[in-house]
Amino acid sequence: MRRFQFSVFKINESGVSVKKYILNRILISIATLLAILLVLFILMQLMPGSPFNDEKLDDEQRAVLYEKYGLDDPVIVQFGRYVWNMIRGDLGVSYNISRNTPITQLIQNRLPISLAIGGYAVLLGAVVGLILGIISALMRGTFVDSLCTIISVIGIAVPSYVFALALSYYFGFKLQWFPMLYDSSQAFNSSVMPAISLGMFTMASIARFTRSEMLEVLDSEYILLAESKGISGASLIFRHALRNTLIPIITVLAPLIVDLMTGSLVVEKIFSIPGVGSLLVTAIQSNDYNVIIALSFIYSAMYIGIMLVVDILYGIIDPRIRLAKDGGK
Amino acid sequence: MAKKSKEKELVTTPAVTWENYEYQDDDFVLRGNTVDTKTDSNFASQSYWKDVRVRFFAKKSAVISLICIIIFTLLAILGPMMTDYTYSKQNLEEQNLAPRIPGLENLGIFDGDETISTTTGSKTVNRYEEMGLDDTYYWFGSDTLGRDIWTRVWSGTQVSLIIAAVSTVINIVIGMVYGLISGYFGGVVDTIMQRISEVFNGIPRLVIVILLMLVFEPGLMTIIIALILTEWIKMSRITRAEVLKFKEQEFVLASKTLGAKSMFIIFKNILPNMIGPVITQLMLSIPTAIYTEAFLSFVGLGIPQPRCSLGSLISDAFNCFMTHPYQILPPLIVMSLLMLCFNLLADGLRDALDPKMKEM
Amino acid sequence: MKAMKRLLAAVLAVAMVFAFAACGGGNNSNDGGTTSDNTTTGSKVLNVMIEIEVATLDPQIATDGTSFEVIANFTDGLMQMDENGVPVEAIAESYEISDDQMTYTFHLREDAVWSNGTPVTADDFIFGWQRAVDPAVASEYSYLFSDIGQIKNAAEIIAGEKDVTELGVSAPDDHTLVVELNVPVSYFLSLMYFPTFYPVNREFYESTGGEGKYATSADTLLSNGAFVMESYEPAAMNFSLVKNPDYYDADKVQLEGLNYQVIKDSQQALMSYQNGTLDVVKLSGDQVEQVQDDPEFSVHGAGYLWYLTMNVHDVPELANLNLRMAFTHAVDREAIVKNVVKDGSLATYTAVPPQFATSPVDGSDFAADQEMFSEYCSYDLEKATEYFEAAKAELGKDTFEFDLICEDQTETQRVATVIKEQLEQALPGVTMNIVVETKKQRLDDIQSGNYEVCLTRWGPDYADPMTYLGMWITDNNNNYGRWSNAEYDQIIADCTTGQYVSDAAARWEALYDAEEIIMREAVIVPVYTKADACMIKSNVDGIEFHPIALNRVYKNATKG
Repeated sequence: MRRFQFSVFKINESGVSVKKYILNRILISIATLLAILLVLFILMQLMPGSPFNDEKLDDEQRAVLYEKYGLDDPVIVQFGRYVWNMIRGDLGVSYNISRNTPITQLIQNRLPISLAIGGYAVLLGAVVGLILGIISALMRGTFVDSLCTIISVIGIAVPSYVFALALSYYFGFKLQWFPMLYDSSQAFNSSVMPAISLGMFTMASIARFTRSEMLEVLDSEYILLAESKGISGASLIFRHALRNTLIPIITVLAPLIVDLMTGSLVVEKIFSIPGVGSLLVTAIQSNDYNVIIALSFIYSAMYIGIMLVVDILYGIIDPRIRLAKDGGK
Repeated sequence: MAKKSKEKELVTTPAVTWENYEYQDDDFVLRGNTVDTKTDSNFASQSYWKDVRVRFFAKKSAVISLICIIIFTLLAILGPMMTDYTYSKQNLEEQNLAPRIPGLENLGIFDGDETISTTTGSKTVNRYEEMGLDDTYYWFGSDTLGRDIWTRVWSGTQVSLIIAAVSTVINIVIGMVYGLISGYFGGVVDTIMQRISEVFNGIPRLVIVILLMLVFEPGLMTIIIALILTEWIKMSRITRAEVLKFKEQEFVLASKTLGAKSMFIIFKNILPNMIGPVITQLMLSIPTAIYTEAFLSFVGLGIPQPRCSLGSLISDAFNCFMTHPYQILPPLIVMSLLMLCFNLLADGLRDALDPKMKEM
Repeated sequence: MKAMKRLLAAVLAVAMVFAFAACGGGNNSNDGGTTSDNTTTGSKVLNVMIEIEVATLDPQIATDGTSFEVIANFTDGLMQMDENGVPVEAIAESYEISDDQMTYTFHLREDAVWSNGTPVTADDFIFGWQRAVDPAVASEYSYLFSDIGQIKNAAEIIAGEKDVTELGVSAPDDHTLVVELNVPVSYFLSLMYFPTFYPVNREFYESTGGEGKYATSADTLLSNGAFVMESYEPAAMNFSLVKNPDYYDADKVQLEGLNYQVIKDSQQALMSYQNGTLDVVKLSGDQVEQVQDDPEFSVHGAGYLWYLTMNVHDVPELANLNLRMAFTHAVDREAIVKNVVKDGSLATYTAVPPQFATSPVDGSDFAADQEMFSEYCSYDLEKATEYFEAAKAELGKDTFEFDLICEDQTETQRVATVIKEQLEQALPGVTMNIVVETKKQRLDDIQSGNYEVCLTRWGPDYADPMTYLGMWITDNNNNYGRWSNAEYDQIIADCTTGQYVSDAAARWEALYDAEEIIMREAVIVPVYTKADACMIKSNVDGIEFHPIALNRVYKNATKG
């Protein structure tokens, strides 16, 4: 396969079909999201237990609650109602976590916190991962290379909760550099340790990927050509090799961002962060349907949104992808 | 910097050209890889697999990883038999004992001493001595219910490996079939199948896994099913991409022109060429499976007690991480090493199977 | 390149510190001793840990201990608990009970005001109570008004047969509240400190926009209690309250405020406690080893009884009394509380757990004597074997396999694992398969009778053994085993609505008779009564702990 290369001219060359392609992709994404919503509804129906299932509740009371929240309607009616309400910006109310609180109110302050910490984690993971990857590619086969590999595997293998607690113990408790528990009055400081524990996995994955990409680029003909032209050192690495390494990394970074969620569930719990990750686990465990659907949907939308952006970027950068995806030819 | 020279020499044979060649009847018969196929014996003298072997063994890290994986697998089978304990046998009196290994104990390590940091200062205790257990040895220590950690770590490794292997093999089969059909037939079939997999892919994997664990009874089978349901998509995407790539290539076109049926093209032309990415993905799926299982354990939906997996051992030991840190180390180290080995093995195999292949 | 190497070195150093930290965590030991207060020195603000977020601050909607605790900080009911859990006057200045014990008249104090300046009146109680029974509000605790409290017309209103205004509660004037009951209820006063019975100001409630808006922020709730909510949002991880200057009893409140912090990981909680961020934390059993020599460590009863329920109705083997008897004699409860739970929980051999219900006659604990039913319930492997042999003979089989359902919490899973091991060791031929389920799922299964054996719990709602014994009457929703006994049903009926309602002493004796039937029939296998292991800073005093309704009361707490 050929490397993708940035070229500004290609955008102009095929401007019309880019528009069509983007429109097409957006429509498909919306349809996909609707389908996801329906699947989520069906999954909710399959879930054992009900949100109103407490030791102290009897059948009659449960019936009253079901009726009140419309849970006794057929799935398709509930689905229709949900979509209609959603269009009007109403995501329903929480049944358990915070009884009767509108979901929008519940997550409006929590989502930005989770996004911020996730953002720091991605930034940290990507930057450190890139550096590690480049260094180990440049020093291939040396002790440093092996060390980088070991670090990145530790990052992949050690669960983020173990990292979180270890960090908390040393930097929070012993050294008291950062607060151990999230404190909204010093949001950035309290985000440092969660972001590091979260970012470890991203860092490790990016480091490994960068290394192999970089190696391949360094072996390619055009680097050879550049070298033979007398370009060397930093210029060769940064202007030629790195640039071509970066593009495919965007593709791996996108799903990694969504994978952060797995970690955030755990890390938010340990650092007592008022984010949405821990909310989702609690919601699933307590059958809080509206919260599960809303959060899953937001995550899906984020994922599909990221994928959409990546696809479109790619389509602009390299028309061949657009053609391949369009017609499957 | 290593330089790889690419030999793509053009051979020119001026004697017979397309202009003066006379076509024979049997010039264009589909033979496939049958015995009477004539092959370029010069090029084929080095068989593909031999090539792979040479390239693979040239990479030390991959070989060491393979050996490690074999050792771990053997330990997973034999480890639990090496002590008198079983993975479920509890002895509540002998709970939370630090590691003690005969022989090594005289060297001052693994002697059952344990330093507990309490809020009133730290203290070093040897609970073996306190309790007069002179002949009791827990090689890796004992856990909160007085079970032998050595035995549990290896039977946990066993469970984790089974989960990983079974789910990976099945998801690769499903993913490949899906990707092949979707990629090969293209058109409407492809569009529909791609939309379906996009929907699946769009729901956060975690939500699916947790919901499935709730819908079915938690256990080995359910974890495997959950992993299959979420992991096949990656495989199907890779397969589809490969099929799309090969389907337009000249040798497939040639087969088609010669009247080959779809099945023939899929099985004889395309599949053999995909072996590299498939094996690599297989190796990469295993750590993912182990990792996802570990997460489920943390949420409390992993393998039910008293059975254990590496993930459930880590999350169990996490609860006394501050009091008895030695309990979390064995499963954590084994899990890290397994991950490392599978990743390095995947790297090695990828390089060996398809030196030109790009990372998936 | 050089710069890059340096950067690499820095990155590696950091990474290695993490790796080292991961390996060495906890081995270091210079963190001893009590701590350096760095955030709260000298302040009279108490920093308290809770394990989960507050579910709601609406008193009629709340169902969990954490929500109750917080609501009680800023709301007073008619009565409150004294340090021993006995109901004493709060908003009610005095009360009269009619001779037939069916009419309660409460006289409200005139100096009680809401934090917006309006006085607390009888109408606030009527509004709150009517909400509790209103089917449109669908309060989960509405049965406290009907089955438990026996307030006139409550059951009919909940069932939708009557209008809320017909509830048997009235206000002859602003400061008098009259409550009519169907039958005498001996523990009625102790219900009055339960948050479901707290007042809500009608006008204010409506001005906030009602359901979904009320009590979702500091601005949408009113206080008539010791503290005022300062900052709060739904499911907040931390929030704070400050002393209420307008509180009628403000002179006695020593604290300047309360800071709540949600911490879900108990190891983080202990570290935060040690570095002074928190004054009160709850620990897990695993950590007790770390703190047991510390004078700041204490144990407080939490009231919950953990027990095994067996599906007597649908599983023929479990319908066999001898098998159930074998189970109850094969469980080593002492080992479970000492080596597994470790937080000071009590091994329990009675159907009604100790420490929450005291006799109306002499104030003694109903379940103080844990050996009262030792004939039916004890750890005795010989007896267990005897019963097991008898069961095998009667059932004509040697091997038994049951699913044991437990919740997804660490402690519960461990206890279930130990019980499994104990049963299998003591009764060869028995196999227990552990099935882990979430709470909602477990309740769904046991309430619908879709289970064999389940480790479950029950917390007391009011200070009377009936909160437990009422469960096992025929057709009760919480009689998970669907066990049925006419004699038992009769005793319970006599105690709730029948001959014993006005004779406290005789009722007390009858309750023992009922409990004996449960134990004789081995309807449940009681295992342990939960306790909370806490650390409280030495400069903090006067926090009141209770096993029912309000787990922690801070009104009389001091710090400094």
